[in-house]
Amino acid sequence: MGNFVRPFLDNEFLQRAFLAGVLVSLTCAVVGTYVVLRGMAFIGDALAHGVLPGVAGALMIGMPAMAGAAVGAAVMVGGVGLITSRSKLSNDTAIGLLFIGLLALGVVMVSSADSLTGDLEAILFGQFLGVNTSDLVAQLIALCLVVVVAVVASRPFLLLCFDADLVSAMGYRAAWYHRLMLLLIAATVVVSFQTVGALLVFGMLLAPAGVGALISKRIGTMMLWSAVVGVVSTYVGLLASYHFSWAAGASVVLTAVSIFFVVFTAVSMRRSIVGDRS
Amino acid sequence: MGIMSHAKFRNLVSRSIVGVFAAAAVVACGGGESSTSPDRPSVVVTYSILGAVVGEVVGDTADVVVLMPNGIDPHEWEPSAKDIELLNNADLIVSNGLDLEGNVMEAIEAAEEDGVAVFHATDHIEVIEFGASGLHDDEEVGYEGEDEHGDGDPHFWTSPVEMAAVVEALGIALADIGIDTGDRAAMMKESLLNTDQDIRDLVESIPAESRILVTGHESLGYFAHEYEFEVVGAVIPSLSSEAEASAGDLATLKETIADEGVSVIFTEMGTSPDVVEALADEAQVSVVELSTHFLPEDGTYKTFILQLASMISVALQP
Repeated sequence: MGNFVRPFLDNEFLQRAFLAGVLVSLTCAVVGTYVVLRGMAFIGDALAHGVLPGVAGALMIGMPAMAGAAVGAAVMVGGVGLITSRSKLSNDTAIGLLFIGLLALGVVMVSSADSLTGDLEAILFGQFLGVNTSDLVAQLIALCLVVVVAVVASRPFLLLCFDADLVSAMGYRAAWYHRLMLLLIAATVVVSFQTVGALLVFGMLLAPAGVGALISKRIGTMMLWSAVVGVVSTYVGLLASYHFSWAAGASVVLTAVSIFFVVFTAVSMRRSIVGDRS
Repeated sequence: MGIMSHAKFRNLVSRSIVGVFAAAAVVACGGGESSTSPDRPSVVVTYSILGAVVGEVVGDTADVVVLMPNGIDPHEWEPSAKDIELLNNADLIVSNGLDLEGNVMEAIEAAEEDGVAVFHATDHIEVIEFGASGLHDDEEVGYEGEDEHGDGDPHFWTSPVEMAAVVEALGIALADIGIDTGDRAAMMKESLLNTDQDIRDLVESIPAESRILVTGHESLGYFAHEYEFEVVGAVIPSLSSEAEASAGDLATLKETIADEGVSVIFTEMGTSPDVVEALADEAQVSVVELSTHFLPEDGTYKTFILQLASMISVALQP
């Protein structure tokens, strides 16, 4: 018992990391479910890495990293919208172009700056164990915003996920709600990457929500399962990082993805025994 | 490990970008020109601290070019196309070795194959193995961490004695390629050994039980070995600053700090400041930032090493 709780009681940095992980898990449970249901994983990944030049630029001129990340995310989302609306190129081509373009710009900026490399590494790959109170506050605000938007726009979002054609038929503006959804993903990435690193944000957007989608067909239940998996992964991952000296952020993501594959195996085995009734 | 392959992917991306720009630069300029004058031989050094020493030995007998901007983390720096051109046109390349300049070694090896003379400083020192620093080698810190380095500690420049050995060998290497530096190498060596004595005087007043160091990554091994300090732990127990912190390492370090009565964490560029701050807050110790990779304003190694020693000495005075 002591080995499972004591590390957290003894170490404040682990308590804060756990709290941050829980907040990120809850935010990602809501947003990630939409990402998984609507097949928006690529834009999520692109956002998590495309913010690099924004962050680099912000650090160079002494602005907060989050402001730079927001600019990077805006360019990404705006650019994808522009390309897909003004050309016949597909969504994933547009995302890919902006993704690699922004990433390349970021790497060039970092390589031309004299003293940035260390900082940037930390930002991209997590300062999960260095979470401070202001990070937690920002994360809490993001969570509240995401939940409020998801509740207010729950009906059009639900329609977007399951029957996009019906959205306009019901009198909602589909494009507008699609953009709102993108904005939610962007906000989640921009706030969370500073707390826990880009790797962890993207992992937490996909893996727990993937589990939710495997075991439930109702959007609310999916989010609930997703939140549970996220929180459990945070706890187990941090514990593994403690006992085996593994990198913290990566341990959490690894746990979440492992849970996904365990559930996936269980669900497929059950299907092959019981037969697919859906 | 996921995180490493990720970093490697980004390296790959940046390398291909460098490649594209290299091609563009060649097209634009019709073959670049190096900034050094053609009549004097050119010595290219990878980073600033070693560059300062090489510059003093070489004097005006050759042009000394330092590749990395002063203060940059050599573990992470990547060469540009122009840097590679400089390497290929050099008469002598002076590198640290032991994987410190992980991203430049390939280019240096390529230049070496083309016949450029290469001097690896760490070939001429007594290499400390990772984890063997300090007076007695406790096993309590988990030293099997994720390092991309080999096991030899590359940070030899924190000891002027090792630097003196390098200077002596460098004088011979320069003579081998026809650069006669007279007695400058010998004088530099003597001056370094005097500096060594100064540091011994400086740290003399630190009582034995206070001679314990907690650092950012493992960068003070040679200093500790030379002046009888013990490195009891590091925020990132790896020779490279690129590894990520783990909860286990941090918790162990926190315990070590309490057990050993550590009062200061010496941090440095490349270590996540947030993680260090969180740890220092919790363990109620202060943080002193050392410039282990940064050459001071007057550009001399002597000032660098004396500043480093005096910051450690002041922080650890009872």
